[in-house]
Amino acid sequence: MNNSTEKAEQAVTIDISGYDVATAEIRSEAKRLLTEKIVDAVVGYQAGRRKGSAVPVIITDPAQAEKLLFSPACVNNLSIYLTKAKKEIRAKGKLAVVAKGCDLRALAGLVGESQFKREEVVIIGVSCAGVHRAGIQPGEPLTNSTIAKKCRECSVHIPDEADLVVGKLPPLPDLPPKEKELMEKLDAMTPALRWEFWKEQFTRCIRCLACRQVCPFCYCEQCLCDRGRPQAVDTSPRPSGNMGWHIVRAMHLAGRCAGCAECERVCPMDIPLNLLNRKMAEELKELYHYEAGMKPVEKGPLTSYDEKDDQSFIK
Amino acid sequence: MKHDFEPKIVAFVCTWCTYAGADLAGTSRMIYPSNVRVVKFPCTGRIDPVFILKAFQKGADGILVSGCHPGDCHYMAGNFHARRRFAVFRKLLEFIGVDLNRLEFSWVSAAEGGKWVEIVTDLTQKIRKMGPLTQFTDLADEEQWSGALSNPELKAVYDQV
Amino acid sequence: MALTITEENLRKLVDRLVKDGARVVGPKVAGEMTVYEPLTSGAELAPGTLPRRSAKEAFFPLSETILSFQKGKEGLKVEDVDTNAFPRTVLLGALPCDAAAPQVMDAVFSWDYKDEFYLERRRRTVIVGLSCTSADDSCFCTLVGLAPTDTMGSDLFLTPLAGGGYSCQVVSDRGKEFLAGYPELFAEAATVTPVPPAEPEGTPVDLAKVKLWLEEHFEDEIWEEVADRCVGCGACAFLCPACHCFDIVDEGTEQSGSRRKNWDACAFSKFTNHASGHNPRDVQNKRYRNRFMHKFKYYDDKFGKTLCTGCGRCIRYCPVGIDIKGILEEIGKKALSTKDTKGHEENHHG
Repeated sequence: MNNSTEKAEQAVTIDISGYDVATAEIRSEAKRLLTEKIVDAVVGYQAGRRKGSAVPVIITDPAQAEKLLFSPACVNNLSIYLTKAKKEIRAKGKLAVVAKGCDLRALAGLVGESQFKREEVVIIGVSCAGVHRAGIQPGEPLTNSTIAKKCRECSVHIPDEADLVVGKLPPLPDLPPKEKELMEKLDAMTPALRWEFWKEQFTRCIRCLACRQVCPFCYCEQCLCDRGRPQAVDTSPRPSGNMGWHIVRAMHLAGRCAGCAECERVCPMDIPLNLLNRKMAEELKELYHYEAGMKPVEKGPLTSYDEKDDQSFIK
Repeated sequence: MKHDFEPKIVAFVCTWCTYAGADLAGTSRMIYPSNVRVVKFPCTGRIDPVFILKAFQKGADGILVSGCHPGDCHYMAGNFHARRRFAVFRKLLEFIGVDLNRLEFSWVSAAEGGKWVEIVTDLTQKIRKMGPLTQFTDLADEEQWSGALSNPELKAVYDQV
Repeated sequence: MALTITEENLRKLVDRLVKDGARVVGPKVAGEMTVYEPLTSGAELAPGTLPRRSAKEAFFPLSETILSFQKGKEGLKVEDVDTNAFPRTVLLGALPCDAAAPQVMDAVFSWDYKDEFYLERRRRTVIVGLSCTSADDSCFCTLVGLAPTDTMGSDLFLTPLAGGGYSCQVVSDRGKEFLAGYPELFAEAATVTPVPPAEPEGTPVDLAKVKLWLEEHFEDEIWEEVADRCVGCGACAFLCPACHCFDIVDEGTEQSGSRRKNWDACAFSKFTNHASGHNPRDVQNKRYRNRFMHKFKYYDDKFGKTLCTGCGRCIRYCPVGIDIKGILEEIGKKALSTKDTKGHEENHHG
């Protein structure tokens, strides 16, 4: 295993024949849900202008169901459109949403945080073999070099907890993890070197806040980091404020992040933000045996406690 | 005694236990370093990790967070929640590359004036030996990205990112 | 006769300029991306790829101090920024979409208020444009009245040649003056064969008609259709060569600090939020509509120019695939039936 990661990976194409099945089933299900007025709108993916691209879409007319699709370009986590922050979308009425396994984890988290009730939303789960990583020209085949990092370590290819699972999962190649390796490298560094690493990364941040805006859990009406009085974090896109912003963000997502890695995908400056979320998830698992799951839980690890929690770090 | 370096230490304490403990140390005329600046909160549960971050950014060399012993919280469970939050926050800071020796946590009750003196004295000595914390304050003077990789050791990691 | 410069001499030029104390901003590889950054040597120059962020930073940085203050024994001391200390700059290797943008933005920065920070940097900068030889499906300079060979905004304009090196066209007096300083690096050639420019694909649109259509369709279902998916980040505006909105913030303590000018974006919900809590652009699609209207209508109303150079960055990096080129084409199609009653001129960048 260790040797194989040293060598350049051989090209592996991932079988996505199941996506055509998924597309057909999403269309017929969306049509049915809208025609029978079970839902008022369906949040899904449709083709964009660029060849092979897919973009989020909210449809309300059964005739539009034919536009829906599933492909390796369906990278977005659509659960963001279901939070209370999206007033205009919730105003459309009862919603159905197309969700990959990783997205379903976010949906479960949002139910746990009372953003919506599970029975209010119809979840169309997709058997997913993987989607593109950031920066891939749409239309490229799905291979081990174009697949997203998160998909290499995916444990939820089939979102069982959805109301309906569409598509067909082909046998999947065993892809060695990339993020895990990177994580191990960082963990092995001295704190001073890690600081250098993060400093370089955060210094690059332009504070476009794409990471916050695509995060299903960043639904706060008033972000702490937008506040002026008191100002928690400097708003200028400079190293000092950037460092503060990313630390605060990681902390606020600890125990809530569902690991969809959208923050990292959308970062126009390629900052590996999911490493922070992953670190927090790893620590929460070790400390409190908590893992973001497919079923809603009422209380997360940081909104609950155990009297016997470890306190070896406290004098 | 005069030292070359007097560290700035900020103590975030809860009003019911540690603040009263520190008060007891004072009224008992116990002597401890004056390096510590005490900031009082209703409960450790109110101490947001942002405060710690802000204190570092504004030039604190060390930080102490202290409150009621488990089971003694005036609000029943504030310190239990804080305990989890800080356990995780420590790990985050460590991952970012902050030396955790600069961040201390303690339970000090209203009766433990002696413990307060001991903790503050030890922390002050420890931070004094470590010298000033400049990593956060240095950042304040820096502008945008230069695109230059300052450290060759990081190059391999960057290539992987 | 055409003026030419070899690749080697172009890099030498950078070295010379750096040695002479000029700030040379050009495309440079940093990790996996290319960015416009001050170069430290000619070897760093990576011409030809469109950098991740636009070149507007050479004049309008992401964040800059506009004054600093300090409280002392003699009271409050406010210190202005010395714009005379801004370095002489050469923006080298800017592709036409980036090179043209400052000329579009000049109008707004020297309108009712003269922005000395921007204008002083403009005064001190020579722009050396570079003809564009690679386009992708997000590029659309030709739809907004520009071209891959457009010299708009450039003082000198380079065109890559088939056998390597560049031909150099003098566009402005400033370019001519600049050139006079380094005659030995340039040569004359009787004939040159340029690398063919990259023409982006797309359906041509009539910008005057688009503007008329926008005038009549402030309320239209298209905005919900294209922008209900908008998540409200600032990636589009921050990567855009022509977006120029900024926010002014004070940072520091009561004792000392600075006032800074930072980029802002109309997609942020805070952008139009009133102190009362009321927000006239209360939902995201209205914010996106503003971005589009500003580029193709409001800016034209005020300054007679289109606030978009077709670089396509906002398309490539939009988290949710909002596609300004597609929207422009769609509106262009709808606008064909709109009558041009006001007689707008063809060239909106002119």
